Amino acid sequence: MRPLLKPRVLFIGLSLLCLLAIWLSLALGPVSLPLLDTLRAALRMLGVPIAAQGLEQAELILGQIRLPRTLLGLAVGGVLALSGVAMQGLFRNPLADPGLVGVSSGAALGAAIAIVGGSAFGGLPESFGPYLLSLFAFIGGLGVTALVYRLGRRNGQTNVATMLLAGIALTALAGSAVGLFTYLADDATLRTLTFWNLGSLNGASYARLWPLLLVSVAVALWLPRRAKALNALLLGESEASHLGIDVERLKRELVFCTALGVGAAVAAAGMIGFVGLVVPHLVRLLAGPDHKVLLPASILAGASLLLFADLVARLALAPAELPIGIVTAFIGAPFFLFLLLRGRA
Amino acid sequence: MRLSTRVAALCVALLASHQASAVELPQRWVSAGGALSEWVSALGGEAKLVGVDTTSQHPESLKALPSIGYQRALSAEGILSLRPQILIGTEEMGPPPVLAQIRSAGVQVELFSAQPELSALQTNLQHLGQLLGSETQATALYSTYQQQIEQQKAWVTQAQSGQKAPGVLLILGHAGGKPLIAGKDTAADWLIQQAGGRNLASQNGYKPFSTESLAGLSPDVLVFADRALTGETAKAALFKENPILANTPAAKAGRVYELDPTLLVGGLGPRLPESLKKLSSGFYPGAPAQ
Repeated sequence: MRPLLKPRVLFIGLSLLCLLAIWLSLALGPVSLPLLDTLRAALRMLGVPIAAQGLEQAELILGQIRLPRTLLGLAVGGVLALSGVAMQGLFRNPLADPGLVGVSSGAALGAAIAIVGGSAFGGLPESFGPYLLSLFAFIGGLGVTALVYRLGRRNGQTNVATMLLAGIALTALAGSAVGLFTYLADDATLRTLTFWNLGSLNGASYARLWPLLLVSVAVALWLPRRAKALNALLLGESEASHLGIDVERLKRELVFCTALGVGAAVAAAGMIGFVGLVVPHLVRLLAGPDHKVLLPASILAGASLLLFADLVARLALAPAELPIGIVTAFIGAPFFLFLLLRGRA
Repeated sequence: MRLSTRVAALCVALLASHQASAVELPQRWVSAGGALSEWVSALGGEAKLVGVDTTSQHPESLKALPSIGYQRALSAEGILSLRPQILIGTEEMGPPPVLAQIRSAGVQVELFSAQPELSALQTNLQHLGQLLGSETQATALYSTYQQQIEQQKAWVTQAQSGQKAPGVLLILGHAGGKPLIAGKDTAADWLIQQAGGRNLASQNGYKPFSTESLAGLSPDVLVFADRALTGETAKAALFKENPILANTPAAKAGRVYELDPTLLVGGLGPRLPESLKKLSSGFYPGAPAQ
């Protein structure tokens, strides 16, 4: 399929889109702040000396609620989309998504253990609960992925097909374990579990943001450096190694980056579907399959999509809020279908 | 009884408006708890509520207020947009980071107990009374409530002397389908016991039932709480979806009663004594009227 856009046009467009998303995400919310106040508060936070008078509320909402939320959205969206590219490249399969190596289901299992187990042991200290949940989700995701990777290895070689099947098996296994915990849960924990599975950027705080930001920046810097290797892998494993690529090392890096990135994203924001699977396709439909374009463009596209989805999530039912997992698919899927049908014509 | 509650509420409202000017009390309230919202209304504070959560379904007029969503998935900015001075909720309210954000915005966040215990209710009502500036009314409401519960208990004890406690199953359904049976450690279990019934379900929490085990339990009384339908339609739907229930002794004897499912969340609410009375009358049809 011929790319619709030149890479440069795509990058300029996506950067503008992302900036727009960031601005809207900071400027809009259930509390309507005058645009001028938002600007002045933003400038004040950047260190411009402006009188604080009358800005307390704007500063609080911007600094403590919207900014951490925006950063969380950027990191989660970017890292999910990037991991999607990595997985689709690794499996050379357009249906691959980060869930395939077990990281999502492992994280869900970890979360279920933390939520249901936590309440079974008489409830956790309030301040500690959310951190434990994130930690368990992260460990669960990493653990199951490590197991999938281990199962795919034989005689020092990683067999991608075996890994894929092992991923499916372990996902099913983790799914049934989550089901068991769901059955054991009481009403209150059940609701917590359900909401966690739908994902949310709600309640983002700096304390929980830093680990994710570090991980996603690291992954976002590392993976695009492997664009050439991923391009070679498109031709096939043996072809790639003939081209001088250390395929085993590449696979290891891809799996590790995905587990780390998606694990941290899911731990911070819960399960957010759709972004990892469809954003890479979206970018491919727009600009073709070259990973040099695909990797960085997916970060921008994923981050923008998630911020826009979050805007809908927080504004649609204000003062209540929708889980973001519902929204990503709801606005992303029709757009994806549109591109798909257009490409066919 | 209902009239006296109304009169009490009226007195409360009058007094509250009288006292409000004297002390600095929060005037814009957001409530995230069904029973709490009901108590605020009963204490005459309904006019102060500017937002409620999705579990606040009673009184009917609360549904007109902006909804802040489910009590466990609150949004900080959403709530702040209502410019509240106080947010009240039970220990189920969350998530904690959101509560921290709301607190840091200078909103008073007050937590109440959702335990189905009279002592918890007493503390809750006193606390609410202080915050609403209607302490005497809160005390009066509580003593009436306590009396009702105690009378109820005495009536059940008396009824039990002439009749064996009936075996009860409480079925929580959605338009008749996918019913769950209320087991131990639930508000429903507490209700059944308080009304003088014996809960036949022995598992913990609300669980789906197997028809086979149900047939073996042969309940004397069925109580159903349906989230989608009410009255006869709910009953008909329940039997249509679960034909096995029609063969239970309860259904054959026509001892099938309805319960409002909103009574099962958020602790003891003001409508509870009334429902308990109805339930226990159904449990002990031979006993003298209460």
